[in-house]
Amino acid sequence: MTATAPPAEAVEITAKSAARSGLRAWLSRHPLAAYALRRFGLYLVELWGALTVAFFFFRLIPGDPVRTLIQTLQQNYIYNQQASTEVIARYQHEFGLDGNIFTQYLKYMNKLILHGDLGPSLINYPTPAQNVILHSLPWTIGLLGISAVLAWVLGIIIGAVAGWRRGKAGSAIITNLSIALSHVPFFFVALILVYIFAYTLGMLPARSAYDSNISPGLSLDFIGSVLKYGLLPGLSIVVIGAFGWILSTRMLMVPVLGEDYLTYAEAKGLKPWRILTRYALRNCYLPQVTAFGISLGFIFNGNVLVEQLFNYPGLGTTLVTAIQQLDFNTILGVTDMAIFSVLTAVLLLDLLLPLLDPRVKYWK
Amino acid sequence: MTMRVLTAVLRTVRDSRRLATGLVILALMVLLALFSPLIVHAIGNGHDPLELAAYEKWLVPSGDHILGTDQFGRDVLAMVVSAMSVSLQIGAIAGVISTVVGVIVAFVAGYKGGWVDGVLSTFTGILLVIPTFPLLIALSAYAKNVSLFRVGVMISIFSWPFAAKTIRSQVLSLRSRPYVDLARVSKARDLEIIGTELLPNLLPFIGVGFASSALGAIFGLVGLEVIGLGPGGVIDLGQIIFNAINTGALTLGAWPMFVVPIVLLTLLFAALNMVNIGLEEVYNPRLRGVAGE
Repeated sequence: MTATAPPAEAVEITAKSAARSGLRAWLSRHPLAAYALRRFGLYLVELWGALTVAFFFFRLIPGDPVRTLIQTLQQNYIYNQQASTEVIARYQHEFGLDGNIFTQYLKYMNKLILHGDLGPSLINYPTPAQNVILHSLPWTIGLLGISAVLAWVLGIIIGAVAGWRRGKAGSAIITNLSIALSHVPFFFVALILVYIFAYTLGMLPARSAYDSNISPGLSLDFIGSVLKYGLLPGLSIVVIGAFGWILSTRMLMVPVLGEDYLTYAEAKGLKPWRILTRYALRNCYLPQVTAFGISLGFIFNGNVLVEQLFNYPGLGTTLVTAIQQLDFNTILGVTDMAIFSVLTAVLLLDLLLPLLDPRVKYWK
Repeated sequence: MTMRVLTAVLRTVRDSRRLATGLVILALMVLLALFSPLIVHAIGNGHDPLELAAYEKWLVPSGDHILGTDQFGRDVLAMVVSAMSVSLQIGAIAGVISTVVGVIVAFVAGYKGGWVDGVLSTFTGILLVIPTFPLLIALSAYAKNVSLFRVGVMISIFSWPFAAKTIRSQVLSLRSRPYVDLARVSKARDLEIIGTELLPNLLPFIGVGFASSALGAIFGLVGLEVIGLGPGGVIDLGQIIFNAINTGALTLGAWPMFVVPIVLLTLLFAALNMVNIGLEEVYNPRLRGVAGE
């Protein structure tokens, strides 16, 4: 019996027929399925709630994107000075700003859920906002994804060794460093690195994602350029990110180190490395994978600044540009995407954990 | 009741070297912030060192100006000292508001249980998954020239759910303890139970909630300032970093302008983090020695 989430229609059907005793009985015999259903229901409620809060938040902030757009048009082309009410009404309709806020809300949710359509963007009018977002996504996923995985792997390895050799000189230094630096914003390190390597030594580029003289493609030149330009922003994420993982790995591992089964493993004459990976770290794997999945959803909070600093053409830079120009559709789109990814990651982990870890109780 | 709370605090501090270190660093920074007007006055030596064109611009660090001057000829040391006081005030305001709201929500949800808890917890969970940074940037785009207090309130809107979540889980674990049941049986009122039985035991977690919210608020404002979207009229450490990036201090070699704010903020984050971990260690003995002693 696997705990995969049923499709949405199935949830509706169960809701309707929950009164029927047959299903009730079946669910009480299959606690895992009941848990999965309940968990999926909560997921839908949270998703709807978060999307709704985000929508109203942005709609209630003052600011008129349509007027901004018309001003831009007037500046760029010689547009007639008085935008006619007809033109304004058409744009308002296009941006989903006509009617009162509740009809706007219903229309927005309808378009978003049924067509994945966020409406036109302002920073790149008339390109739809979802295309603007998709265009900048690969850079963010590439740079941040690789850096985040590297930080996580490094953090677990270093944290495990530091926990294993606790009381030794190097271990205390590493731990105290992690405590001091694990909450430092990424862009502090980024700034210092830029100052040293880009301005003082002139070794590495400080802006953009690749050399503009090289045309993007699958050539060695281009890939090399991408790596070279991504080195500094990536490094600043890896360094600070790793400290956080070192700390949490230690915290998970140290309480286990005094346990009898470790002494027994040692007495059996197993090699230290094997004891470390198979016995001592056993308790860290699941929580750390869970934490990693959740942390991926929150990549927007610190990384906007790093991307902005390096002028990296990713999601963070797009977001800041969108905010500076009141491009609500794009801002809301990025926010919605973040919400969806966090909630989905947590849902998948919650559904998989009972299958992987016998200690997790799902019939709360 | 106050005595009990006080002894709980003192015992906690005495038990953890890490907590004590963090608190000492914090206390020193708060002192520096409190005396910042005097320090600025002393640097100015009779006139205001923060005035535009008070001195030559872009002076290198020397005996007269330990950290040099900026693009408008203001003394960088004086700027940094007063900016740090602003950052700390923001952290304190947002920290207090988030903690109070978080504690109230957590107590109502955790203590009452049932559907109240369900609704409040779901709502808190919903707010927790909305990425705060885009919202904060958007909000600040309309918050030009607001007072320092208002900025603090604005930022705390986004940081209370975290405090609420931390504290609620503790309320739940404490609620079922035998001595709470005993108090209930002996007809003590809800408020009385919360005040005398629950609050002293929850103090460390309230402390963690406060430290995390303050840290988040200071970082949030610094983040806004660094991309040039901070509220006008509030000069915090982030604003100085933004000026350094934008006026080319990086290329001019005026390193104190961005290195000193970064070092100060790093020290502040480190101190708050030590307080957090110290508190967790005191109340979770299994973690002791995680420190590598």
